[in-house]
Amino acid sequence: MGNEILGDDAVGFHAARRLRSEFGPEVEVVESGESGLALLDHLEGCERAVILDAVATGKCPAGTILSWDREDFRRCVAPNQHAAGLPHILELAEQLGMGFPRQLRVVAMEVQDPTIFRESLTPEAQKALPDLVAEARRILAAWGHSPCTN
Amino acid sequence: MEKTAQKVWDQAQGQANADYMRRRRVSIDPITRLEGHGKIEIFLNDQGNVDRAYLQIPELRGFEVFSQGRPSEDMPQITSRICGVCPTAHHMAAAKALDDLYQVECHPVGRMIRELVYNTFMLEDHALHVYILGGPDFIVGPDAPKELRNVVGVIGKVGLEVGKKVISTRRRLRSIINYAGGKVIHPVLGLPGGVAKGISPDQIKEFQEIARDGLEFAKFTLQVFKDIVLKNDSYVKLITSDAFTHKTYYMGLVDKNNKVNFYDGDVRVVTPEGKEYARFPIRKYLEHISEHVEPWSYIKFPFLKQVGWKGFVEGGTSGVYAVAPMARLNAAEGMATPEAQKAYEEYFKVLGGKPVHHTLANHYARVVEMIQAAERIVELVHDPKITSKEFRTIPTKTPTKGFGAVEAPRGTLIHHYETDEKGLIRKANLIVATLNNSARIAMSVDKAAKGLIKGGQVNDGLLNQVEMAFRAYDPCFGCATHTLPGEMPLVVTLRDLQGGVIREIRR
Repeated sequence: MGNEILGDDAVGFHAARRLRSEFGPEVEVVESGESGLALLDHLEGCERAVILDAVATGKCPAGTILSWDREDFRRCVAPNQHAAGLPHILELAEQLGMGFPRQLRVVAMEVQDPTIFRESLTPEAQKALPDLVAEARRILAAWGHSPCTN
Repeated sequence: MEKTAQKVWDQAQGQANADYMRRRRVSIDPITRLEGHGKIEIFLNDQGNVDRAYLQIPELRGFEVFSQGRPSEDMPQITSRICGVCPTAHHMAAAKALDDLYQVECHPVGRMIRELVYNTFMLEDHALHVYILGGPDFIVGPDAPKELRNVVGVIGKVGLEVGKKVISTRRRLRSIINYAGGKVIHPVLGLPGGVAKGISPDQIKEFQEIARDGLEFAKFTLQVFKDIVLKNDSYVKLITSDAFTHKTYYMGLVDKNNKVNFYDGDVRVVTPEGKEYARFPIRKYLEHISEHVEPWSYIKFPFLKQVGWKGFVEGGTSGVYAVAPMARLNAAEGMATPEAQKAYEEYFKVLGGKPVHHTLANHYARVVEMIQAAERIVELVHDPKITSKEFRTIPTKTPTKGFGAVEAPRGTLIHHYETDEKGLIRKANLIVATLNNSARIAMSVDKAAKGLIKGGQVNDGLLNQVEMAFRAYDPCFGCATHTLPGEMPLVVTLRDLQGGVIREIRR
C-alpha cells in the first residue's frame, strides 16, 4: 500500500515488486493506493496476506521495520473521520462472515516524511528496503512459500 | 533583505510568536493519520474558554509544483493519486480540463460513458459515507458509547443482511467503474475529447441489472434514513440545532434547467436567503473566487470575491460560502430525475424550507443525491447509444489553458491548467472540495467547541460533537491511505500558558 508520488510512502510498492519477481505466480502481489472498502476486494478470498506499507510513528529511527498482527487492530475501532481503514475493514469482514485471510501481517518501514511529493525513495528508505523485503520473505517462508529457483 | 526591513520583519515575527504562545492550546490529533492532516486545533484563553478553533486540512501547493513540466495528458492519472478515497473525481475534473485545454468538445458517447462512471462513483461513495463513515453519528446515535460508534454498531442497528447488501451493492457498482476505467483505483478512462474504451453491447445487460438494483438500494437507503433518523425527534432536533447552523452562500454545478448535475454545468451560487447570486462557466472562476490567508494556518480560505472577506462570519455581507450535498441542493432549483425530485421536496419540507443551513443536513442531502445518481445510471445504461463504437473526438488544436470542474461527493472540485504549446504543464491550480468549505468548516468547529468547552472542561462526549461538526462535511484529509493501528485514535492535550501539559485525554 502507498502512494507512488509521495516518495517513501511508496516503499511498500518497491518491496512488493522485488517479491513479485522472486516468488512468481505462487504468491499474488497487488499494488494499491486505495483506502476504505476497496481493500475488501483485494483481501476477500485470500488465505493469508502480508500488507507492506510505510508508517510514520515518529517513535523509532527511519528505516526501522515494524510489524503488526491482526490482533493488534482490534483496539482501534473508534469512528474515523473520512475513510474506513484496515481495522474497520477487518471488523466488517468478520461481522459479515466474509472469507478473509486467516492470517494477516502488516509489515511497514518507519519513514521520515511520507508527505513530500517525489517519485523516488530517500537514501535512508532505499538502504532499508532489503530489510523490508527480508521480513516479508521470512513470513512467506513460514507459510511455506519459497522463492522461485529459476 | 535590507537591514531596516529585516528588523521590522523580525519584530513582526516575534510579535506573532508571542501572541501564539499567549494562547493555551488544545490539540486533537488523530494519530492513525499522517502528521499534519486533519487536526483539530483548539486555542483556550486564560479562563479556559475557547478563543478560536479550527480544522487543519492538507495543502496541495506541493502537488501543483510537482505537476509542472509534465505532459498535460498525464494529469488525469497523476491527480487521481491525490486521494485514495475519491480518485474518480480528480480523474474526471482533469479529463474535462483537458477537453478545454485542447479546445475539443467531448464526444457525446464518451460523455455518456464518463457520466455513467461518475454517477456510479457518486452512488458508491455516498453509500459508503451514509453507512460507514458518517453513519455511526446517526444510525447508531451521537450519544452511543464509543465502542458502538463504528461500522460494527451500524450493522448491529440495521442488521446483518443490510450490511451484506451494502457490501455487495458496492462491489457490483464498482464493477462498472472497473470495466470502463480499467484500474479502479486510478482509472485510465478520460482522454481529451472522450474516453479510452467503449462499452460492449454484450456487457450492457449486466449493467442494466446492476443499475436497477442500485436504484432500489438508493431508495432503500432513504427509507432507512427516514426510519432511523427522521422518526427520532432528538436526532431531528440535533440536526436543526443552532450549534450546527450557519447562514452562508451556497455553491454547486447546475444543468441548463438549474437542476443538480454532478458531472457538468455552470457554477451557480445562491445567497443565504436562497436567491441566485451568480451563475458562471468554470472558465470564469477566478472572477468569482478569491482566497484569504490567516496567520495561524497554512490553509487558504476561498471566498466570493465580489462580496469580500469579512472574517469567519455568516450572512449576506460575508463572502464565506459552502459546497457539498447540502449546498448543492440549496444552489439548484431541483433534482434532474423524478424520484430524486420527490425526495428533494420532502427534504426541504422536513427541514423547514429552503435554503437549509444545518450542517448535519449534509447526511440527509447525501441520501437524496444517491437517488439522482442511481436514476441517472439507469437512464444511461438504457440508452442504446452508449454501446456505440465511436466514443472520442481527436483533438487538433494547440493547447493553452484548460478549466474543468465536477461535483465531487464533497463538493465543487476545480482543476485549472496552463501549458506551453507542446502541452507541458506550466501552471496547475486545484481547488478541492474541502478547500471550498474550509471557512465554513472552521466556523462549525469553532461554534461547536465554544458551545461545548467551558472553563477548560473537555470530555469525550463533547469532543465527539466537535468532530461531528466537521465530519458532516466529510472533509478530505489528503492522501493518507494508511490507517495503521494506533493505540488511540484521538489524543487531546490541555496545556498551560507555557505549553506544559495539564491534562491529556485519550480515546
